[in-house]
Amino acid sequence: MIDFKETFSMYLIAFGVIAFIFAQSLFFIIKSWKHGKELGITKETMVNTITSSILFSVAPAISILVTVFVLAKALGVVLPWIRLTVIGNLAYETVAAETALNNLGGSLSMEIEDMKQFSTVVWAMTLGSVFPLTFLPIVCKKLQNKIGGAVSKSEKTKKLGDILAAAAFIGIISAFIARAINGCTVVKEPVLDAAGNPALNEAGEKITQSVIKESAGLLSILTLIFAIIIMLVLMALCKKIKALEKFESFAMPVAMFAAMGCAVLFSKILPPDLASFTWYEIGGVM
Amino acid sequence: MSRERNYFDRVHVWGAVWNYAALLMMLCVPVMVSVVLKTWPSLGIMGKVIGTLAPLYWVTGIIEVVTYVPMLGAGGTYLSFVTGNISNLKLPCGLNAMENAKVHPNTEEGEVISTISIAVSSLTTTVVIAVGVIAFSKVFDSASNNATFNAAFNNVLPALFGALGASYFAKHWKLGIAPIICGVLVLLISPATGVGVLMFVTIVASLIAAVIIYKDLWYDDFKAAKAKKKAAKAEKAE
Repeated sequence: MIDFKETFSMYLIAFGVIAFIFAQSLFFIIKSWKHGKELGITKETMVNTITSSILFSVAPAISILVTVFVLAKALGVVLPWIRLTVIGNLAYETVAAETALNNLGGSLSMEIEDMKQFSTVVWAMTLGSVFPLTFLPIVCKKLQNKIGGAVSKSEKTKKLGDILAAAAFIGIISAFIARAINGCTVVKEPVLDAAGNPALNEAGEKITQSVIKESAGLLSILTLIFAIIIMLVLMALCKKIKALEKFESFAMPVAMFAAMGCAVLFSKILPPDLASFTWYEIGGVM
Repeated sequence: MSRERNYFDRVHVWGAVWNYAALLMMLCVPVMVSVVLKTWPSLGIMGKVIGTLAPLYWVTGIIEVVTYVPMLGAGGTYLSFVTGNISNLKLPCGLNAMENAKVHPNTEEGEVISTISIAVSSLTTTVVIAVGVIAFSKVFDSASNNATFNAAFNNVLPALFGALGASYFAKHWKLGIAPIICGVLVLLISPATGVGVLMFVTIVASLIAAVIIYKDLWYDDFKAAKAKKKAAKAEKAE
């Protein structure tokens, strides 16, 4: 019997969502390309932007694909596929699905076989995540006009604006660097009793605990350090050797892949205890 | 200037139309699933679920809009908020493209490059996920238990942000010290702090550091404006 989570109709819904994303992305590419030409941006610059953006996106896209398969164990493959194609990310989707299931006496740790549970999960995931779209067009223009006004003043103000923009970017990057040095990801999971059933408190509600799923450790720090070193070396090479100048825009994805390669290398050559060392024990409770 | 504003205005109109179309499309997904399965969630349960999720998701949603909109450009913003995975993919991708093309955010050139980059990234991600789901769902199940595969893909974010950070730190290394130290300190106190909250802290730390380090760019003007105001007040009093 075909699983109700992976029927032809479910696949049709997924293809509808994909068609929408394609239409929106292509619309903006065509409009931007035309305006870029009007502004005198060279075809080479725009083609380079496209190529480097593809290369840049492949590895993170594969890691998103992995999360689709993580969620697929409970939800079937089509729903996580839809949710991670529009808006979703692993943390939000897991919390939304687990919250819905907890209210219905289920859990993401087992496959959903009840249609009502599944339908509730789909509604919870959607209603939880679409909120920014309700007010984005109202505030987006106002926010950007304010910034546009600030950066179009004097040269000095413009320079300060550029530095503040760079500072904000560095702020974003720093959050991820800090997490690679000393962060962890926890997921709320139900506590199980001796018989393997969800334990309940006096009010009859499920007891949950924060379980560590990911943690920074030796490998994440080494990957981070090597990504920085490889990128600096590639940037220096592109500056020094004239023939490599046109490849400068590919330095970033190349450095990213090389650093991931270093992570694999270290996981093979380091003693297993060191290679798997993390600050917070995976599977432990926080 | 007016031509520049006109282009941005048009992008906002297109973006708003696509944004609300996307909202409608996304709401159609649970409706269609419920119609296909002939089962709807109970209102009571949904009320409870939304009551739990709303404070978390909606507050985060507001913070995300305020944090990301100034950096993604108009077209990039509308695309990113529909396709998601902003902080770990769309934002660094757009930043990298603008850096490579040597254009600045909030200019027409920056707008064009950032939008192309984020749209291409959305297409690439959609294709990779679709091909992966259709072609490799069986293979992936065993690959995801493979140690080599896990070592590479568990470290995508340190690799991505290390490489991206290097190009920024090479130019503005002084600006990187305060936010990284603040981020690590927050994580020492609360290791599971979500990236949304952490990012808010590191951006504020980075902006304060920039204002202090580049004091010479604003302090003289600030002092002059203050003196002018004082003189005008004194003149008025006389």
